[in-house]
This record gives sequence, C-alpha cells and structure tokens, in this order.
Amino acid sequence: MWGVIKSVLAAFFGVQKERQRRHDFEHGKPGAFILVGLLMAVVFVVVIAALAIYVAG
Amino acid sequence: MRKMLALMTGGGTLFGGASLAHANGWNMPVGVTDLSAEIYTLHMTIFWICVVIGIVVFGVMFYSLFKFRRSKGAKSAHFHENTTVEVIWTAVPLLILVGMAVPATATLQKMYDASDAELDVMITGQQWRWRYEYLGEDVAFNSNMSTPRAQITGEEERGEHYLLEVDEPLVLPINRKVRFLLTADDVIHSWWVPDFAVKQDTIPGFINENWVRINEPGIYRGQCAELCGMDHGFMPIVVHAMEEDEFDQWLVERKEAAEAEAMGVDREWEMDELMERGEQVYGSICASCHQADGGGSPPAFPGLAGNQELIDDVDWHIDVVLNGVSGTAMPAFRSNLNPVELAAVVTYSRNAWGNDTGDAVQPAEIVELLE
Repeated sequence: MWGVIKSVLAAFFGVQKERQRRHDFEHGKPGAFILVGLLMAVVFVVVIAALAIYVAG
Repeated sequence: MRKMLALMTGGGTLFGGASLAHANGWNMPVGVTDLSAEIYTLHMTIFWICVVIGIVVFGVMFYSLFKFRRSKGAKSAHFHENTTVEVIWTAVPLLILVGMAVPATATLQKMYDASDAELDVMITGQQWRWRYEYLGEDVAFNSNMSTPRAQITGEEERGEHYLLEVDEPLVLPINRKVRFLLTADDVIHSWWVPDFAVKQDTIPGFINENWVRINEPGIYRGQCAELCGMDHGFMPIVVHAMEEDEFDQWLVERKEAAEAEAMGVDREWEMDELMERGEQVYGSICASCHQADGGGSPPAFPGLAGNQELIDDVDWHIDVVLNGVSGTAMPAFRSNLNPVELAAVVTYSRNAWGNDTGDAVQPAEIVELLE
C-alpha cells in the first residue's frame, strides 16, 4: 500500500526511478493505482483549497 | 535577497527609463497610482527573473556546445536516467513559479478590492463612444472623439493628440478611491487607461468592477481595447484628474447645469436655440455615421439631407431617434440624451442641409413620448 502511494506521489511530481517503474508494471494491479490516484487528487485539491481559504483569512 | 530584488527593480527602472509614466515607450508605464507602480514592479521583477533564467540556460548550453565539441575529441555519454537531476530540474522551476505567484496573487487581490470607494462612476461602452455617469450625483455625459475627420482622411495635418482627444473627458479627483462600474449597450468594449493599469472589458448585460486612486493631477489617455466594429479606433478615453476641491467645484457646476437643462424642458424653445443645441448634439453623436453634411454613408448609414421619408414624417423621425431601428446600426437614444438634446437634434436634422421643413420640435413633446 505504501509502495502504491509512493508511486502515485512520484507520478504527481513527474519523476520516477526506472527500477520502481518496472516493479510496478510487473507486480502492481492497475485498479489500485487508479483508485489511490483519484483519492490523492481529491486530497490535493482539498489541501490547496484549505490553504487558500486560510491565507485569505 | 532584498538587495538583489532592489537591484533588479532598479535595473528595471533604468531599462524602462525613457517611458516613465508614459505609454509611448517600449515598456509599460509606471503609471500614476500606487497599484500601477506595484504592477510595474511586479512586471520588471518577473522580467529580470526570466532574463537570469535565459542567461543561465543558454549560457550552459552554448558553453557545452563549444567546450565539448567533436573536433576536440569529446565523446557523448550514454545513460538512461538520473533521478537526482530530474528531481532538481522539476523542483527548481516549481519553486520559481511559486515565488512569482505569491507577490502576483497579493497584487491581484488588491486589484479586485473595489470596496470603500468614495465615488462611483458608471462607464458604458457604446458604438462608438463612452458614456460616464456619476452615480447618485445626477451628472452624466457622453464622451466622443474630437479629432476632425479631415485629419483622419489626410486633408489636414495630424494634431498632437491625434485620435486620443475627446469633446468631454471623464473628470476624476485625485487621492480618492473611485470605483468604476463597467458595462456596454451593444457589443463588448474594453476600457483601457495604461497610466492607471486598468483594462476592463465592458460587456452587455454584465457589470464589471474596477477602481483607481490617482496620485497626480493630469490628463491621462487610453483607448478601447476590444475590437468593437467600424470605429473601434475612434472611441478614445481621456481622463482629467483634478485636485479634490477643484473636482468638487466642477461636480457642483455640472449638477447645476443639468438642473438648469431639466428646467428648460417645460418652456417653449426658439428655433435658433434648438438649431444651435442640435448642431452641437448632431456633431458629437450623429455625425460619425450620418456625416457632418448629412450625406451619410449608404447603404449602412442613410443620408439625412434631402431624405424624403424624414422630411414627410416628423413622428417617424422622432420615433427612429428615440427607439432606434432594430436590425440596423441605428441605436435608441431615449436614455442616452435628455429631452432637450433629443428635441434639438431632431429639429436640427429637419432644418439643416436644405431640409427646411420649418418644424421646431419642443422638449415638452419629447417628454410626453418618453413617459
């Protein structure tokens, strides 16, 4: 699970180690990456919105 | 860091020195409001950041091309990835972008904060003039370009403020927060005065907000910045910024003049008076399409001189001026001109250029039709 989150974070940032990428494609399930990706996108939007609301006072 | 920033913006002032507070240089003007100066500083800061990035990137590239050229025996390296380098070249631009976004957002917030204004001015874009209304003060007028046709057609020398001069400028006080409410009657226009760093679209059916607090008295010029038809280039903006007491006096005078004109609605007007006032109104409102000599530009803008339909039917003539003609470029003037102006301009076009109908349309008749 932690491995999937790390891979999704790497995808958000846009940089991934070649070794990890191979590992994910050979052993990972696509559904897990899609689900975690969607959830973390929602978390990202909520964090940005909360930050903007906090800064704007 | 602070020293570096000061150096960069200082360099910016030097770079744009020739254009200080003027729109005719290479750079954007510093302008005459705190906000326009802030926008200028922001612009120059980002400009110098881009210059530094450009020098570093192209410097490294050209140095590498020269230093490691094949004729000196350089061999290309073959490797597939380097995660550390990739992380650095992703993170550095991210930090630079965030670093620029923080001050830019702070400035944007100030630009959008039109609260606590001391004066509200409604600005309406029309084909092809601006209308200014001092809300709550009963003062409103149209502002038309005053550059003579002969200068445009090349029959006369161009004046100093060619295409940037109007019959009645927008008058504003300095040191007061003025809120603009911007809209349009027909198509999208855009009210743009570089010295205020204000460029705001005016859209039919919408009201946009903007604001300005001018620091220095003076004449500031701008133009319509959204292509709006044939005379898009002929609807300039001129703002006359005055000292506060001078402005208050001007406003009182305008209010009194407006009241005097409103009183004039009830009395009988002489033909000469109507013709004189009518010529003035015709020149500023009608002549841009129907031409000063009443000849028009057929087929889009029919001639009025010797127009039989107009000569025969005064009621039809008044109706056209009041309500416009749908499907043509003729707008309704019932709410843009007051009854005296409407009566005068109809009288003028019924009697000028050999139309000689002898009809004197009274303001009181117009008032009845407007109700």
